[in-house]
Amino acid sequence: MAGSALRRLMAEYKQLTINPPEGIIAGPINEENFFEWEALITGPEGTCFEGGIFPAKLVFPPDYPLSPPKMQFICEMFHPNIYSDGRVCISILHAPGDDPMGYESSAERWSPVQSVEKILLSVVSMLAEPNDESGANVDAAKMWREDRDQFNKIAERLVRKTLGLPPP
Amino acid sequence: MKALLATVISLGLTTVVIGNAYYQKKQFYPSIVYLTNSNPSMAVMYLQAFILVLLVGKLLRKIFFGQLRPAEFEHLIERSWYAITETCLAFTVFRDDFNPKFIALFTLLLFLKAFHWLAEDRVDYMERSPVIGLLFHVRILTLLMLLAHADSYFIHHAYQFTASKGPSVQLVFGFEYSILIIMIVNILIKYVLHAIDSRWEAPWESKAAVLLYTELAINFLKVLLYIGFVAVMVRIYTLPLFAFRPMYETMRSFKKAYNDVVLSRRAIRNMNTLYPDATPAELAAADNECIICREEMHTGAKKLPCNHIFHAACLRLWFQRQQTCPTCRLNVLRAPAPEAAAGPAPAPAPGLAPHAPHAAPAPPPPGPPPPPFPNMPPPPPMMAWGMPPPPPPRPANLASLTTAELQRMEGNERRNIEARLQLLREIQSMLDASVLLMQQYSTVVANLPQNNATVSTQTETRIEELNTASTVPTAPSPVKTEPDVVPTTSSYKQPAPTPSTSKTIDDPSPMQPDTTTPVDTNRDKTDVDAADELRRRRLQKFAMDK
Ligand SMILES: [Zn+2]
Ligand SMILES: [Zn+2]
Repeated sequence: MAGSALRRLMAEYKQLTINPPEGIIAGPINEENFFEWEALITGPEGTCFEGGIFPAKLVFPPDYPLSPPKMQFICEMFHPNIYSDGRVCISILHAPGDDPMGYESSAERWSPVQSVEKILLSVVSMLAEPNDESGANVDAAKMWREDRDQFNKIAERLVRKTLGLPPP
Repeated sequence: MKALLATVISLGLTTVVIGNAYYQKKQFYPSIVYLTNSNPSMAVMYLQAFILVLLVGKLLRKIFFGQLRPAEFEHLIERSWYAITETCLAFTVFRDDFNPKFIALFTLLLFLKAFHWLAEDRVDYMERSPVIGLLFHVRILTLLMLLAHADSYFIHHAYQFTASKGPSVQLVFGFEYSILIIMIVNILIKYVLHAIDSRWEAPWESKAAVLLYTELAINFLKVLLYIGFVAVMVRIYTLPLFAFRPMYETMRSFKKAYNDVVLSRRAIRNMNTLYPDATPAELAAADNECIICREEMHTGAKKLPCNHIFHAACLRLWFQRQQTCPTCRLNVLRAPAPEAAAGPAPAPAPGLAPHAPHAAPAPPPPGPPPPPFPNMPPPPPMMAWGMPPPPPPRPANLASLTTAELQRMEGNERRNIEARLQLLREIQSMLDASVLLMQQYSTVVANLPQNNATVSTQTETRIEELNTASTVPTAPSPVKTEPDVVPTTSSYKQPAPTPSTSKTIDDPSPMQPDTTTPVDTNRDKTDVDAADELRRRRLQKFAMDK
């Protein structure tokens, strides 16, 4: 019998392939190592990220699901809740007590009830509705608040980049 | 590609250097002498040796590990940098022994260390990959055996050397290889555990506990070794700064392992005493799935106070991190567990949700408590003092609750009522105390001379007069006050200005008897206040002593 973390990751992978959520593809980069996944997230419709396909990497800890995975976009991103190196900062990826932003209630924190699917859905809704109180990317948060047109322009450039199109 | 380039360049350089020597001396031995006496040539030779070591390392890595994963490679690079820095620090302590052999020994140590690290990472990887082939086992076991032999050979060598020739740099090697052989033992234990686990059909629940205790024991051994090494080094040489970082990390992981064991034991104890096993009916209602591992629950499932059900093993691992329900985040330590009153009772039989009322100790009889002052008359029956504890919140709809919940609530209510009774008893004894004090005060007042009493009543009437008088002047002032005096009167801070003050501000002598009396009354008032304060404090202290 494999380790419990591995078994759960295999179960989640199976679930995601049988019944994939809309606009999300995720799975291990290499089926010999289930602790590193790649995910493709489609920009939600009706937002400035619409149409983009954003690749991200998920790295799971050995004690998953007791500890949350880490998620990092491997394409260029500009978003209030994404660090400039692509790391995603949302409450579901933090265990209660570990509080980089200081405002999140424990209700939306990591617990074994969460899953890869829930994380990716949270990321989609984060793309649609940034939380500009979070300081992961202060410039992006400021621009989102004060100069939405400019923010939308940058987002459009990023969307075109993920699709391999030349900038407009 | 870079490695190939470096190899070619170094090979070329070496050929040139040796060719040059042979071209100049034409014979073998003179060439060797020429080479060893020429610093640039020796530098090239050392470089060549270094590149050869790297090439051998690459070859062995290919043999034992195949392709390194990116994470393994990063880990290796990071640890190598630390090790190289620390080796340079170690050189400063043993600068007297500095010679090529010394450097070669340290290089070999680093080289072997790198293989230990890789073996450790690779064995940890066993838990993460669903495909562990025969090749993996052959490679790991061969490597572990070779490394163990190398380590024990060097430990033996260091011991012999130190025993025959006294302390030297061999102390460091002996110590380093001892740490490495402990590491090999640790890796081997992990390997065996993972290998057994991968053969079993069912999840092996006690594996986590075995790993935990192994970790604790291994780290304890390492801490002992580090402390011994530092002590010896301090006595013979100087503070071994190069050992401090690894020593600190070992101590930290020992502390972490210790905490993990403590938390795990607490979680197991709570699991056995506080939470009932789930019944088959409850399991069926929860779809039989454990939300932690996403697998079916058949036996060994536990029910939390919030009615959420999990595998006992999964829950135990989670409780080592957080004492909350994974589903609803109820804090299970704060939540009233029905069996808590019964203390560390044996684990309840499965299927029986025990409840408190029968197990709870009977409350003491609610008769009147012994009076705190036996020679005192009983307190007056009614004194409105203090606040009754608020009534407990009542659930909206009792009918919607299950029998078990009602029973638990009953247990809670009983505890609450007991707490309220206890509080009321405390209030009663405080009342007794205050009655005693009041009586003391009344006797003191009764013993006072009669004239004092009249004075006090007089002053009281005076105060009343003054108060009324002080309100009076506002009305007649427009008539009596001269315009040039107005600013002074308004800024005059003396309280209770009588209508006459506006005329005689500069000469207050006619007011003398009047101004003294308010002072007296003030003093009386503060005395009364102080007595009040004293009483209050005594009561507080009394309450605290209780
Ligand atoms: Zn489970
Ligand atoms: Zn719960």
